[in-house]
Parts: sequence; C-alpha cells; structure tokens
Amino acid sequence: MRGRASRQSDEAAVDLTPMLDVVFILLIFFIVTSTFIQEEALGAEPPPPSSNAPSNPAPAIIVYIDEADQIRVNRKLTDISAVRGGMERARAENPESALIIQAHPEARTGTIIEVRDIAYDAQMERVNIVRSAG
Amino acid sequence: MARKAREAASSAEDDVNLTPMLDVVFILLIFFIVTAQFIREPGVEIDRVEVNNKERLNPLGILIAIDSNSEIYMNKQVVPMSEVGFRIRELREDNPKGRLVVQADAEAQAGVLIDLMEVVNDIDGLGRVPLSVVND
Repeated sequence: MRGRASRQSDEAAVDLTPMLDVVFILLIFFIVTSTFIQEEALGAEPPPPSSNAPSNPAPAIIVYIDEADQIRVNRKLTDISAVRGGMERARAENPESALIIQAHPEARTGTIIEVRDIAYDAQMERVNIVRSAG
Repeated sequence: MARKAREAASSAEDDVNLTPMLDVVFILLIFFIVTAQFIREPGVEIDRVEVNNKERLNPLGILIAIDSNSEIYMNKQVVPMSEVGFRIRELREDNPKGRLVVQADAEAQAGVLIDLMEVVNDIDGLGRVPLSVVND
C-alpha cells in the first residue's frame, strides 16, 4: 500500500532532462549562427536619371576626379586637403550652386568617398555623383 | 518509521533542482533568438575609408560588396551587374525591412560603384546609397 503511493509520487515529478537537452541544442544553434555585424556608412547620391541631365540651369561646382586620382575643383587642380577650401570659395562666388562630383570610371572609389565626406563637412547641399564620359 | 522518513527526505535532496538553471538557459535562448540576424554576407574582405560623416545602420539586411578587382559579390558569389537587381529583389523577399549597404573597396573602380549605385537606387529607391566606411 505504502509502496504504490511512493511510486505514484515519483511519476508525478516531471523529468526535465530531455527538455533541457533540446533547449541546450537550440541555444548552441543560435549562439553559433548569430553574427553581430555592425556597419557604419556614408550616404552617397547616385547620378540623377539621364532625362534631366542635359538641362542644368543652376551653376554647379564641378569636382572632377580623373583616372590618376587627381582632383580638379572647377578645372583647377587641387590637392585633397585643399578641396574643401576650393568648394567653399566656389560656393561663395555662386551661392545656391549644386555640387557635382564627376568621376572618371577608372578613378578610385576611396577618392570619391573622401570627396563626398568633405562635401558633408562643407555642408554642401544638392550633391550628385556622376561618371564622366571618358 | 522515523528512519524511513529521514531517508526519503535525503533522497529528495540528492536530486538537484534544475529549475533555476533552466530559467537562465531559457533567458539566454530567447536573447539569442531575438538578436539573431540571418544576413547573407558577401564574403570578401574590403579596405574601407575613414570619414567624418557616418551613420550606424541598424538593422542590416542586404550587403553588396565590390572587391579591389571591381567585382561585385553578394552571398559569397560573384554577381554580374545585370543580375544585381534580381538578387536584391530575391534577398528582399527574406528581409523586407533590413537596410542595404554597399561595401566598396577603396581601390575599386569608380565606374562600377556608380553603376551599382544607379541599380540600387532603381530597385530599392534610396535617395542616398549607404557606402560602408571604417567602423569604430
């Protein structure tokens, strides 16, 4: 009589071990597959649609990057450290002018990103990055 | 009689109580489930540029890389320019609201980057395409 009663109370306690195994396997799966990727990015404008490219009424400051990574601000050859000064001078002459970063297709990507960063520093508005024909 | 009762009590104490550990494990499990991001990485190392004006992008969704040989990588495969739009749409099915980031190597050709930005803008309609820079 007493024996049966004690067996019943043993069965009433739920055995958690199999569930713990499953939970551990899930935990290990999520630890292994989780990737903590962090990205910081600089926003860069794509070229405008080609339909309104030819008509460009506002005067624009053109920063041209050639295939040898030389930078020209309004056709004047400029070192990377002097680009900001050149941009601000051109804007002082022509406020409201847009900035066009024109890159030769074989120029370095890094140079474009640096010039776009300088344009953010100089608080230029209406920036576009386009490719030059050549 | 009394001895029997004491024996039963000691055998109950021999059984380790797993409930607190189970609680901790469940909390860890829920943490990892919630933070898990399933991103298809491009799988190439790129050389990033250091800039002043950057913004942290969260949550990430789609990563497109241009390596130093100006080849486009998505999901550990080289993707020709004509297929990039299709691949973006494909990845958008899995991840409708993750941010898209272009990881362009500093030595890559500007022409490829500008073409890619045009495609990304057509498909994803971003005014500005985020370009990955040095992370701190």
